[in-house]
Amino acid sequence: MRHVKLFMSFIFLFIQSVLMINANADGLSGSAFTTINIHSLGPQRIGDLRSVPVPVGNPQSPMKIVLGKQLYFDTRLSKNDTISCATCHSPFMGWSDAGPTSTGIHGQKGPRRAPPVSDAAYSSLQFWDGRAASLEEQAEGPMQNPVEMGNTLDNVVKTLNGIPGYVEEFKQVFGETPITIEQVVKAIAAFERTVVTSDSPFDRYVKGDDNALTDDEKEGLEIFNGKAHCTACHWGGYFSDGRFHNLGTAQTGPLKVDDGRYAITQDQEDRGAFKTPTIRDAVRRPPYMHDGSEKTLEEVVEFYNKGGGDDPNLDPLIVPLGLSNEEKKDLVLFMEAALISLNPGVAGVTPIPPSVLPK
Amino acid sequence: MKRIYIFILIISAITFFMPDRAHAIPAFARKYGFTCTMCHTAYPKLNDFGQRFRDNGYQIPGQEGYEKNVFEIAPPISLRTTTGLTIYDSKQGTTSGFNIYGLDLLAAGVLHKNISFLLIYTPRIDEPAADYTGPQGTNPSQLGSMESANIVFSNIIHDALNLRIGRFEPAYQAISSHRSFYIMEPYEVYTFTTPSNSFVFADNQMGAEATGHFRSGFKYALGVVNGNGGNPDNNTYKDVYANLFQVIGKGDGQSAGQRIGVFGYYGWQPAVLPGPAAAPTGETNGGGNKPFYRLGADLSFNWSTLNFEVLYMAGVDDKALNTLDPTKGYVYSGGFAELDWALLTNNGLIASIIYNWVIPPDYDNARTVNAYSVLMRYYLGDWTAYNIALHGEYTYRETGKNSPRRENLFTALVDFAF
Repeated sequence: MRHVKLFMSFIFLFIQSVLMINANADGLSGSAFTTINIHSLGPQRIGDLRSVPVPVGNPQSPMKIVLGKQLYFDTRLSKNDTISCATCHSPFMGWSDAGPTSTGIHGQKGPRRAPPVSDAAYSSLQFWDGRAASLEEQAEGPMQNPVEMGNTLDNVVKTLNGIPGYVEEFKQVFGETPITIEQVVKAIAAFERTVVTSDSPFDRYVKGDDNALTDDEKEGLEIFNGKAHCTACHWGGYFSDGRFHNLGTAQTGPLKVDDGRYAITQDQEDRGAFKTPTIRDAVRRPPYMHDGSEKTLEEVVEFYNKGGGDDPNLDPLIVPLGLSNEEKKDLVLFMEAALISLNPGVAGVTPIPPSVLPK
Repeated sequence: MKRIYIFILIISAITFFMPDRAHAIPAFARKYGFTCTMCHTAYPKLNDFGQRFRDNGYQIPGQEGYEKNVFEIAPPISLRTTTGLTIYDSKQGTTSGFNIYGLDLLAAGVLHKNISFLLIYTPRIDEPAADYTGPQGTNPSQLGSMESANIVFSNIIHDALNLRIGRFEPAYQAISSHRSFYIMEPYEVYTFTTPSNSFVFADNQMGAEATGHFRSGFKYALGVVNGNGGNPDNNTYKDVYANLFQVIGKGDGQSAGQRIGVFGYYGWQPAVLPGPAAAPTGETNGGGNKPFYRLGADLSFNWSTLNFEVLYMAGVDDKALNTLDPTKGYVYSGGFAELDWALLTNNGLIASIIYNWVIPPDYDNARTVNAYSVLMRYYLGDWTAYNIALHGEYTYRETGKNSPRRENLFTALVDFAF
């Protein structure tokens, strides 16, 4: 009898293993919201940014980028001509906004903090919950969001087709008219792919300039990649794994409860999980977290040092860190001083005044 | 002649003092681009992140299925070795010498989602050295051993059931001797042997182990093993063990949170060796199997970068295994209390003290152990790796109760892995 039980146990374990492997196979062919385009792990050493990934269906061109920039700063994409992309993703605020959450059309408050547009080209999934699989798909969202730009895509196209200057530019870029929403989002995405926070002191350091970082910043880098466990999620050149984690963040702002990624996947593991943001240029866009609940980088570090917030679904990567005050200071210094972009094409971008936008 | 005697003495002493080699697996650091302190408070001791990584079958928790497997990365092979100076002092005199104290060849990685492996081979290191043309030493400073060779099926039931099969460090070693900062001083109660019983608590074992961990902080381990270390089994009975842990507060009890645990091991050893049958692979069916057990509890307290660990255990062997006094069972107890303190940026300096004790029965009190050790480890490296440790360790050890043998052992080593 004992042998029979042992044999049955073995059969049970074997079946479990087979199911487990099959589940894996299913996962690889899952929906866009679950697996496609998500970074695979390793190697994931932090480093300088690689070339921007450009989709085959939307190649970059100088004219398209200029067109996209015009659209990005044009409030006429909103229902009442008051809100542009740059209203909530301002180059003066690290391509996010003053927050904690953004103010959209008619003074309405958005539920989450505006994610930075800078380096968003490196993110496989867009929005805090990853509901868009590309920059192009993302760009459609705010225009038709009643809290943000309050428009409809049809109305956006109608408006743009009524502006001869845009019609001419779209014709030059895409070779055809009338303007379509696909062309609009392609142009915006093309511009966003140029907002790359390269040439930070850290980038110079990893390329061999030993003087690019001070000793304290080097210690901060050691802590970032070591004891503070930052690179468990903030890795690669983009300083993000592009994945979703529940940090136990205190939910503040308009939403009492925010299910995060769970709203998209309906996977309990994703409840309260949000996409890992990049750390690059983070100093330019306080406050932090998906709801802007941490006002400074010092507060963010303290939050992690105590092991995140309290949440039954807290990510297992989050553990107390035991950082000393000196280590915390160096860590913040690294993020403030070493990861700030010196690329004038990003830091020096200024809005296009309405007077010079196409008419 | 006297010099030869002293030479043999020091080698014997070092071998006696030295525990199994400690582990660190830079292949993981290489795979992820992490530095050592991602998984270790300072190598080889695991921190909470490292413990969870290990518990999850060498996969980053929550990232199963997105790991690159061993076919997609550079061969996941690592080496670790330790070399330096030892000064040994006892009643017989003082000796000193430079030595190599061990070499680990490690390979570990993910084969497929939720299926991973660990191999550790320790080659024999002889004194005299391999290029010595005379006879090999009778007391090698390291024995050749396939110390670990196991495969892990993780998340058979998500977090709640993981299965490790092969030769492995069993979870009943609640505080890992393999990942202790101490290189020369073992956890004495782990290495203590009892008469006519080939089971050694410190040994890696052959068998299968089921483990699980839960968000409540509860962890368990259940195992069935030969109980004969890495040697072929000497009876047809298998040994079983269980561990139960509870972590209070955030963390995993390694570097944060407070962990309490209990463990028990119940095994059988043959009183008659060998039995009439022998398998081609070396197993025998020794007869007159008699039971023995080990019971213990452990605590791990953390505050800031201080970690205080205590383990107490007692062992009882059936009287049939007690060749010293067959009228009664062999009963002993022992444990250790260790305080580790991580200092400097990124835990670049470790200071530690430990007290080890073993209390055998009165009729065997010549094997009573009281040992006091201190160590400091200073790590060299940069943001890519902290993989070189300058290691200083001192132990004062008394063996025996009535007229104890007093020994002093000081070592200054370089311990590095890549």
